[in-house]
Amino acid sequence: MENLQNANPTILNLSDLPTRKPTASTKPKSALTSLAPSYANDPFAPSSVPELVSDDSEDDDSVVESIDAQEIYDLVSTMCDPEHPITLGELAVVNLDHITVQDDPEELTGLITLEFTPTITHCHLATVIGLGLVVRLQQALPPRFRIDVRCREGTHTTDRQLNKQLADKERVMSALENETLMGLVGKMIETCK
Amino acid sequence: MPLQKLASVSAHTDRIWQCAPHPTLPLLATASGDKSSRIISLLTYNTLSTIDGGHKRSIRSVAWKPNTRGESVLASGSFDATAGIWRRYEDDSGAATGGEYNDEEDEEWRFAVVLDGHESEIKSVAWSAGGSFLATCSRDKSVWVWEELDDDNFETVAVMQEHTQDVKCVTWHPEEILLASASYDDTIRLYREDLDDWVCCTLLEGHESTVWCITFEPLTTPNYDAKRGARLASCSDDKTVRIWTRVGQSGVGAGQGAGAPPSILRGAPVEENWTCSAILPKAHDRSIYSISWSPRTGRIASCGGDGKIVIYEEDKTSAPGAMEVDGDAKAEQGSKAWKIVAELKGAHGVYEINNVAWSKRYDKDKRGEDDEIIVSVGDDGNVNIWAVE
Repeated sequence: MENLQNANPTILNLSDLPTRKPTASTKPKSALTSLAPSYANDPFAPSSVPELVSDDSEDDDSVVESIDAQEIYDLVSTMCDPEHPITLGELAVVNLDHITVQDDPEELTGLITLEFTPTITHCHLATVIGLGLVVRLQQALPPRFRIDVRCREGTHTTDRQLNKQLADKERVMSALENETLMGLVGKMIETCK
Repeated sequence: MPLQKLASVSAHTDRIWQCAPHPTLPLLATASGDKSSRIISLLTYNTLSTIDGGHKRSIRSVAWKPNTRGESVLASGSFDATAGIWRRYEDDSGAATGGEYNDEEDEEWRFAVVLDGHESEIKSVAWSAGGSFLATCSRDKSVWVWEELDDDNFETVAVMQEHTQDVKCVTWHPEEILLASASYDDTIRLYREDLDDWVCCTLLEGHESTVWCITFEPLTTPNYDAKRGARLASCSDDKTVRIWTRVGQSGVGAGQGAGAPPSILRGAPVEENWTCSAILPKAHDRSIYSISWSPRTGRIASCGGDGKIVIYEEDKTSAPGAMEVDGDAKAEQGSKAWKIVAELKGAHGVYEINNVAWSKRYDKDKRGEDDEIIVSVGDDGNVNIWAVE
């Protein structure tokens, strides 16, 4: 890609990234990743509704698995930056500390909030990153979760505008019908195991 | 006051954005992310037909043209930036047979016209009360008014570029030629025809985030006050529902009743003054996507991202009269008059609810001619039908 906005981003060492099993280099796939529908990696898969996990047959177990922040982190940290062949975890665009999970078994729905940090404050791809994170989580998580992906306050010149857009369901759903945007998002998700 | 589920229709495999009950027949039209619209019988709660092939992207909004004879006319607005007009001949005995038609007639929905002009996604379509105007709005920040000169011949009579952002919803006043629009810019605007021009006559500010849906008070509600005129209700991403009321003598219609001769001079002021007269009790935890004002009971229903349906009722005795008090005091008094009478969580399971609409009840168990139902549609692709007990 030409004209990289941030040609030399800070890259974290892989071994420094948070993981549930710090010693295991061949960490098993998280339960959630394997639950993800097969079309999760391909936005152009025949299903016209990639954002809806409509196949409930896989999570109809009587035991509802609880989900924690590490689980969410594992889902998104291996996504690739749209500009660099480096993961969002390595670039510290996503951080374990900026993910919260409310999953009260008494409540019908749970809430996941993820704040991301663009590598530079004027990153023109911040919208794409946000959209990619929304798509990734919507595809991988059961529909009971409401997913709030936001740019961390003060980390982008237009963070308020950006966050209003990411909070707008109609705009997000419309963006998912945009092939150019979904091509970029598909590339980001491609690197996920 | 519990809500009883009468039926759940799996109408679409993708989310349903909106639904519209037919003004006179027992029919419901849906707008879905699967690019199609379905017609559902409100007599039997069966799907009667599918309208598809006209739009390349999600259908976001549908609206039945009022006052049609011998045919049904449906307008659709899509993310593909076009609006469509669909027609179907209607046997006038349709009401008696519940709009049931056999398979051959199923094919009779004709895609009559494509309305081109918007630059990006159309978010809402609405017919004026008399059916002569169609309004559309879009992410391109504009509101368009189309006039049907004769069958299938639509002319653009106005393009209003007043909003600074995405326009989410358009709706018409139940008797005046007064159009309202709601936007991602957190405001609501009202427009009138001023001789040859359509102009914005009011800007309503107060909501703290995107205004998703607006609707005028039907003239048949028990609390309708002709002197005050139809009020406007709005709901927002700020999780509030607000009621707006016209203040003082203003506007073309109001001027005639005031004793002053209506001015026909160009430049006569068309500005109107509307004020927030009530904020309904808070009940939603997430964005409120839709509200509907019942023409029979005057109740308001709301729904949103939290999966709840909430019903509010206004106590007439404690509601302020037309011009009694002004400003904040009036708004406070107005707010107190509204009470929550029903609240249902998980009305579409874990899914978000995108639209609610009151409709006359037609099914075999209806309790008289004034009985009504609430129709809700959600991200689960279902149409749920509710009776208020």
